[in-house]
Amino acid sequence: MTLTSFSAPAPVARRTRAYFAPVNRITQAPVLFDPSQSSLFHLDAPPTPWIDLGWIQNFMRRSTGKSSPILTGVPAAALEQTRTLLEAQLSFEFLAWTKLTMALATGSQHMNLLASAADGAAAAPAAIVQSGSTASVIQLSAADAARFAPGSMIAVDADYAGQTGYLGSPISGACLRQPIADVDYIRRITFNVALVLGVSTTSLILAQPLPGGAPPPGSKLQAITGFVDREGGSFYHEWSALFVIQGSQGDRIFLHYPRLQSLTGAEESAMPLDAKHTGGLSRILLKGQFLALPVTDPIDGERVLCYRSFTPAAYAEI
Amino acid sequence: MQNAKDSFYLALRTRLATINPERTVLLRGAVRPGILVEEAEAPFAQPFSDVFVLRWLGHGVDANLSSAMSVTECEILYTTCGSQAFGGLDRGRMLSAMDQEVLAMLDPFYAPKLDYSVQPPADLHTNVFWDEPTFSPINVQRDRLSRSVRVMVYSYQQQGEE
Repeated sequence: MTLTSFSAPAPVARRTRAYFAPVNRITQAPVLFDPSQSSLFHLDAPPTPWIDLGWIQNFMRRSTGKSSPILTGVPAAALEQTRTLLEAQLSFEFLAWTKLTMALATGSQHMNLLASAADGAAAAPAAIVQSGSTASVIQLSAADAARFAPGSMIAVDADYAGQTGYLGSPISGACLRQPIADVDYIRRITFNVALVLGVSTTSLILAQPLPGGAPPPGSKLQAITGFVDREGGSFYHEWSALFVIQGSQGDRIFLHYPRLQSLTGAEESAMPLDAKHTGGLSRILLKGQFLALPVTDPIDGERVLCYRSFTPAAYAEI
Repeated sequence: MQNAKDSFYLALRTRLATINPERTVLLRGAVRPGILVEEAEAPFAQPFSDVFVLRWLGHGVDANLSSAMSVTECEILYTTCGSQAFGGLDRGRMLSAMDQEVLAMLDPFYAPKLDYSVQPPADLHTNVFWDEPTFSPINVQRDRLSRSVRVMVYSYQQQGEE
């Protein structure tokens, strides 16, 4: 049987979707995307450890690297080129404010606001996570579970015990040069946060799984009220990123940046809901600007910043 | 372009049967999902209530591509007088329900392109795709509420297609 093919024009797409995965700062290991497996990449259920950050807009990327010619002869003419600077930047706007998007769109450390027991008091004491907990259901003692209600937000992680260096696993949320006196510090900077949807006598049911998976033994839990970031500081988040542009014919463009760091401080942009009424309601968008850092391609040892891969539509001539 | 028009209509009809199986129309003695193509039915003097009617409007072709791209504008019209059980006082709610059904029918914004002139329909291995819908204001005529939605429907012309 012979089927018909078609000569596919340039892909037509409506929007770009972003996925991020944490770089292991201690081992300096990014998450690498294998484009040969791209057909298995489910946009709504990405494989671990990729985290779906949803649709983004005004996605722009540009190579800011430089090449210089090697000149020869009189008069001089370019013999060949050499790359003198390897650099790429990208920017886009997130369409939602979440812990992750806010952290990605800031150039500095991002923290959780731990709920206090009373106005002006220190953070409420942490509850001990009991055994049998999973990424979606946290087991607590009956007395601790009674302190939470549906709609609560929580942070789950270990007590701070004087460590220095990168803190938080699998997502590093801070880097301490010297010990501090704050037993709740790791829960302040952890990305293991979630919304509580249901409460039973001894457990909390979460709206979405904890990014770090099931809490390890010794984890504790505290209520949070929101998030805060700071202009300044010395810490830079680092992420592996994957941007997917889904074409109208099932074709896909993947842009994979193994290492990205925020390039600027926190910045927002306002987008009027009604373009004809710019003084009215506006959507406040988180604006992210990133600098791509190089990795060494294990195949040939070349230093690269980004991989662009393309999966053609079915039956498209190639 | 006929294949694209047929594919768009049948995709929406299949989706509507899932979204709201109770929205049906009795047409030429058969009960069908409540969506029809105006140009494929006998002229009707008065618009159907609680049924989606597809009307094909402008047409264009971009021939400067490796495969020519056709675009046709589709207007989806719908009307309701509300239900008898509530004396028509629920007509606003019923129009809102139809607004939601239109959005649900159009998502995802593509469907496989098939040739329905043969049996079984032949897969043409490309997709029909469309843009964001544009909703018109509500048109009020006595107890009748109407609205239309416009969508630009695109497809690639393939070998042997008219």
